[in-house]
Amino acid sequence: MRTLIIGAGQAGRRTAELLRGLDAEREILLLGEETEPPYDRPPLSKEILLGEERPRGLMQRDAKAYADQRIALRLGERVARVDLKSSRVETEAGLHIPYDSLVIATGARARSLLVPGANDPRILTLRSMADARALRAQLRPGLRLAVAGAGLIGLEVAAAAIQCDCMVTVIEMGERAMARCVPKEVSDQIEGWHRAAGVALEFGCRLAVVNPEKDALRLATSRGEFEADLLLVAVGAVPNSELAYEAGLAVDDGILVDASGRSSHPTVFAAGEVARIRQSCGRHVRFETWQVAQHQPSAVASALCGIDKPYSELPWHWTDQYKHNVQILGAHDAGLEWLCREDGGRLAYLGVDSEGRVRGAILIDNGRETTPVKRIIASGTAMSRGVLRDPATPLRQLC
Amino acid sequence: MMAWHDVAREGEFEPDVPKVIQVGDDRIAVFRLEDGYYAISDICTHEYALLSDGFCEGGKVECPLHQACFDIRTGKALDEPAEVDLATYPTRVEGGVVQFQL
Repeated sequence: MRTLIIGAGQAGRRTAELLRGLDAEREILLLGEETEPPYDRPPLSKEILLGEERPRGLMQRDAKAYADQRIALRLGERVARVDLKSSRVETEAGLHIPYDSLVIATGARARSLLVPGANDPRILTLRSMADARALRAQLRPGLRLAVAGAGLIGLEVAAAAIQCDCMVTVIEMGERAMARCVPKEVSDQIEGWHRAAGVALEFGCRLAVVNPEKDALRLATSRGEFEADLLLVAVGAVPNSELAYEAGLAVDDGILVDASGRSSHPTVFAAGEVARIRQSCGRHVRFETWQVAQHQPSAVASALCGIDKPYSELPWHWTDQYKHNVQILGAHDAGLEWLCREDGGRLAYLGVDSEGRVRGAILIDNGRETTPVKRIIASGTAMSRGVLRDPATPLRQLC
Repeated sequence: MMAWHDVAREGEFEPDVPKVIQVGDDRIAVFRLEDGYYAISDICTHEYALLSDGFCEGGKVECPLHQACFDIRTGKALDEPAEVDLATYPTRVEGGVVQFQL
């Protein structure tokens, strides 16, 4: 029996390793487009840009580690098509590989900028190790770096670049930092760190045209013209779901899967951020986080072995900027009231719904409260705002 | 040369709250669990973070940055993103004072 995994990123590695843990016999083939063995991506926008060659957070194993686990890792192989009828994939090199079960773990790619002039080589995105090294090679004191997008990646890059003594301007269409995942109070804090470090933040600023000139990029925006030596585009990610779509699987902003990772075809699964996962409420959600790449493959590997272990975790992700760690848990939709608990420099923002239940939280330099907060959210219990706000009552006593 | 280092008097320990002692470049966190005192390195083996800032329960401590989890008694890394175990140090109680050896 052979399980073929397309995509040798974090989700592909996890699926392969967890599957090997559950089934000593089966043949596991892990195909990757990049030439690097699988790695976790969080250090790409931080340690790699600051000059560390092999940060531990990459979790990168060498070829021998895969051989020892009897996982056949084939790198530099891009899959051209999947044929569901004959249960084979065809690589761009013309290889036909049959499978008994297939896992698509192709991840996502950086969304590109759709403005005139956006194909200049001084315009970069950040997604892969190669991208991170290319960006790192450019960062030097005095470099005028423009970053399009004040989301998590854009701000982590801005923080790293200003620490490399670049001159950094962040251009954001919206009104505040990380608006997609934190409330305004937290945006204010994050913006404060960047401004204190010398980053220029331009909100309500739409990039209209890039004029590539010989010695600079001239960026025409709704708030005037900026000059930059380099433009890093960090305006979100797009799932790599084309293979699945062309094969005839159900795809809608990601491969539609159930909580076990099963697609619309019974022998095909999707793992990690290419998957749009059915929630208990019936809605499908796609997560672009380390967490989903790490833990959802456990549901997939189990299902491949006939074990039902649906994926249902409270969404969690983090960002590290300057010396600060921000952890983002659960929901952050409009309509929540955000209560702030302050305990020295440790902050907890708790998002409470109209019935007094904590639905989401943002922890700043306060990771010890992550587990208690996860439990409080999972309990769904209504609590008094006074108690939630009071740092004298430890959160661990409330869960 | 190995030596015993004082941490604190037994009565000064609270459950799940470690005491931290710096010895040269090493930072050691000492925990009181139900069955005794345990000393581990205070630095997460994944990325630089102080485990004494993390959540501790049931003989386990979580890294405050990325939630890697370690067994306090054995130093064992229990789940990714940590894979390297923590150093552990022998402990003893001498005249009511908790000590570890390094």
